[in-house]
Amino acid sequence: MLAVRPRYRVLIVCGFLLFIAASLATVNAKSPYRIDPVGALFAEILSPFQTGMTSLAKGTQHFWTQYLDMRAVHATNTALRTRLVALEPMPGRLAELEQENRRLERLLELRRRTPGTSIAARIIGRNSSPGISTAVVDKGAQHGIRKGMAVLTPAGVAGRVVSVGPHVAHVLLISAATSGVDALVQRSRVPGIVSGTLTGTCRLKYVQRDSDVRVGDAIVTSGLGGIFPKGQHIGHVAHVAARDDEMFQDVEVQLSAEFTRIEEVLVVARDDVPARAEPVPGS
Amino acid sequence: MPGTTSRHGPSRSPDRSVRPYLLFGLASVVVVVLQTNALFHLPLVPDVALIFCVYLGVAHGSAAGAAGAFLLGAVLDSCSGAPAGMHTLVMSAVFGMAVLLSRTLWTSGVPAMIGLIACAVTLKALTTLLLFDDVLVLDVLRPFVVSHVLRDLLGALLLTPPVFALLAATERACVGRGNA
Repeated sequence: MLAVRPRYRVLIVCGFLLFIAASLATVNAKSPYRIDPVGALFAEILSPFQTGMTSLAKGTQHFWTQYLDMRAVHATNTALRTRLVALEPMPGRLAELEQENRRLERLLELRRRTPGTSIAARIIGRNSSPGISTAVVDKGAQHGIRKGMAVLTPAGVAGRVVSVGPHVAHVLLISAATSGVDALVQRSRVPGIVSGTLTGTCRLKYVQRDSDVRVGDAIVTSGLGGIFPKGQHIGHVAHVAARDDEMFQDVEVQLSAEFTRIEEVLVVARDDVPARAEPVPGS
Repeated sequence: MPGTTSRHGPSRSPDRSVRPYLLFGLASVVVVVLQTNALFHLPLVPDVALIFCVYLGVAHGSAAGAAGAFLLGAVLDSCSGAPAGMHTLVMSAVFGMAVLLSRTLWTSGVPAMIGLIACAVTLKALTTLLLFDDVLVLDVLRPFVVSHVLRDLLGALLLTPPVFALLAATERACVGRGNA
């Protein structure tokens, strides 16, 4: 049929097919409908292959996505484990911070209701040998602390400053045998001196035999001596004993402040009394 | 000899002259299915049908090859949902171009192959634009057209060596062994 040289036959066939294709394409490009005589047949024949390939492609994609997800989960898992390890001490730290917050709140409250200049300090060292109860706080002369200043806690009186360095100060606690705080029985206004003993307990000294002191009575500072503000809680009477041959009653005082558990204190200077270089113990 | 039986009795394998048609028919089905169902998941979609068509034009520049390219385009139109005739025209044009170039130029080797593929991609873009965009000549230089052509070219260039090698090896294995 095509009696032409084979060299040109392909070009003629190609041109013919190109013409058909161009016609088909031109018609379809302008037509709102698809004009494709055999297209449906091709599509019908190849649809099983296409369905299979679509399933295969979806399966592959699903597998790949799952693999990527697993990798992501692994990475997330590692990150979460690391974070968990970092967060494990957090509950303890949070509880610690919460307790510190409560203590500081109480200290702040004490500061509000305490007259005079006050400086908050943290106890950084203590000596709990019987009769020699002392502590070291982290504030010193550079922070405004001077000898003889009162040291208070939210629970009650703690002691007084006995020596001051530039950045630290030493506190003699009222449970020390050498300590003495002018005090009153709050209910009956009976005066006395609260002082520690070598056995670790505290006594209200110099209480007359006939004075009205009962177990449970609150002991507060008298405000005399110029160190402690008046009315600061010291403790309560734990035991009272009056012997016929003694001039004074033996009054044992249970201190309000637990010195082994104090962490923050308030160092207070009374504005109404000038600071003294060497306060007299027991004044 | 074509159409004869072997000395061991009637041969069940297809006649040697039919084998290339079967091979390229099967390859066309694979190409169409891949092109319409699998490759569009890739970030850079290569036009495997175009590469296949160039291979046909270079290696089998005959009337049968032209019919094959035409059919490939028609099937691709039907299975891809493209306007009928679009791929048919593109594949026929690319095949014709490949035949002409392979007859007039040296088309062996990687640089020639790259040139052929670049021409095919450009021709495809031009044909499509002329067909559907009422295009002006200057429109071809629009940035998105250029970028599209470049992406198409990159995809085609990446895939051309393995596709050409695979087709040639398969052809040698199926057809060449029978001829030996």
